[in-house]
Amino acid sequence: MANAERPPGKNFNDQLYDLLFKNYLWQSIFRTGYPNTPRNQMLVVATNVFLHLHPTRIHRTHVKITHTYCLGGLSFFMFLGLTVTGVLLMFYYVPSVERAYADIQALETNVRFGLLLRNLHRWMAHAMIILVLLHMMRVFYTGAYKPPREFNWVVGVILFVLTLLLSFTGYLLPWDQLAFWAITVGTTMIGSAPVLGDESKFLLLGGFEVGSNALIRFYTLHVIGLPLIISIFMAVHFWRVRRDGGLARPL
Amino acid sequence: MVSQVLTAVRARPRREREEEVLVWPDLVFIEFISAIIFTIALLVLSAFINAPLLDRADPNTTPNPSKAPWYFLNLQELLLHMEPAWAGVIVPTIALILLGAIPYWDRSNAGQGKWFASKDSIKITVWAFCIASLLTIWLILYDGAKHVEWTEDIIRGTGLNSDFTWPTWLDWARNLRGLDTGINWDDLSFSLGGFTIFQDWRAIPLGIPGTTTDPWLLNLNFPSFLSQQVVPVATMVGLPLLLVGFTKRKLGWIHSRRDIALLVFTGFIAVFIVTTAVGQFFRGQGQELRPPWDIVVVEE
Repeated sequence: MANAERPPGKNFNDQLYDLLFKNYLWQSIFRTGYPNTPRNQMLVVATNVFLHLHPTRIHRTHVKITHTYCLGGLSFFMFLGLTVTGVLLMFYYVPSVERAYADIQALETNVRFGLLLRNLHRWMAHAMIILVLLHMMRVFYTGAYKPPREFNWVVGVILFVLTLLLSFTGYLLPWDQLAFWAITVGTTMIGSAPVLGDESKFLLLGGFEVGSNALIRFYTLHVIGLPLIISIFMAVHFWRVRRDGGLARPL
Repeated sequence: MVSQVLTAVRARPRREREEEVLVWPDLVFIEFISAIIFTIALLVLSAFINAPLLDRADPNTTPNPSKAPWYFLNLQELLLHMEPAWAGVIVPTIALILLGAIPYWDRSNAGQGKWFASKDSIKITVWAFCIASLLTIWLILYDGAKHVEWTEDIIRGTGLNSDFTWPTWLDWARNLRGLDTGINWDDLSFSLGGFTIFQDWRAIPLGIPGTTTDPWLLNLNFPSFLSQQVVPVATMVGLPLLLVGFTKRKLGWIHSRRDIALLVFTGFIAVFIVTTAVGQFFRGQGQELRPPWDIVVVEE
């Protein structure tokens, strides 16, 4: 009705909208206007590299918080946060037995927001493990592993193990008593494997005891090796969520 | 023409379309808000609670108790009750394989995408969680010889026998290792037709004479094998089976493989939580059971 009565020519809001979202620069970046119409809302999801992990439409039961509690997405968000804080931590940390502990002390005392940075990284790591576990429980109790999503459940189990390994390898890096003895206890368990126990332990530690070789191995695995592997599995995991028909839904 | 329409209809039924919402804004905004809530919560947490940093690592000074990171304390807890190879490697490997195998065993897609869809699933979940937690706590207390301590305390407390100690003939029931150390295995060798069988229970030759002698494999230490391997493994396999059988026959709640999966998975979660919590909060010096306020770390 209002439209019918509107005189020809654009009002201020329309002019502002055109100025902001229909200019050459905006369109070169986003292709669509601001997502204020269903068409643009679908286009923005379909054309944006970050949003295109999503479908353009989703069943209404799946946007209810109580269906998923956002647990999978939050696990991924923790991974992103850990990557950001982790990269910043790498500026201040040298993985050598001589320097590691002093670097952490210096980070906590001399670097602005250094303590906060380290705290965030640690609590996010714990949060990620808890979120991944809760996500697994959510998927189980909603029966979302059932066909055709069997394989994605397996990928999820692998991601759970990789999450634990990422946390475990990071645990040694501060090179304090907590780190050293926790890794000693952990790797002794690995060493008790019946067939290749001692060999696996030696491979992981680069020696018979936790020392400088172990530190550099754990560091390398923590900052590049395992993140690469988990990224690949996450890509498969998210891809398969879409390919297997989105979130599970009653038949 | 008609067939084209039919395929189109089959591909995306109209009714289903109406049940759908747009991802922008309905999902993207929820994700955005939850990410912001978590960012703020973690920032607040990090502002108030500092990540631990103890003294510099010193291989010559062992903290007692030494603990693995919290998410491995469940395995460290198992380590106290069985052969390290089982606790540290074999059990977690099998658990992960079984976990991954759930969808290949429970193949029906009935009830997917709905919380607790099957008929008695909530009953099964609550029951499995409670019974598995209680059994795990009971097993941990038993292996910690708490029943010995408490029986002694109670009998002494009644005044009937103020010097009461656990009878030696019940030493085998002190804890799991009691099966090994609480029984005089040397008395148990017996003869059959003049031929002594198992003269030494602690070195039963399993190998072919003249070949290499791996002391663990070829000369079986039966008492240790029994208490550190047979009984723990039988417990870990047997209790879930008994639980499934009891829930099916006596309670009548099991109607499908999904229900069995629910029961065992919930039991697994319960054991995971209980063993992690016991490892984190109730293990003091020498990995003795202690209340949380009584746990002091000393460096030796």
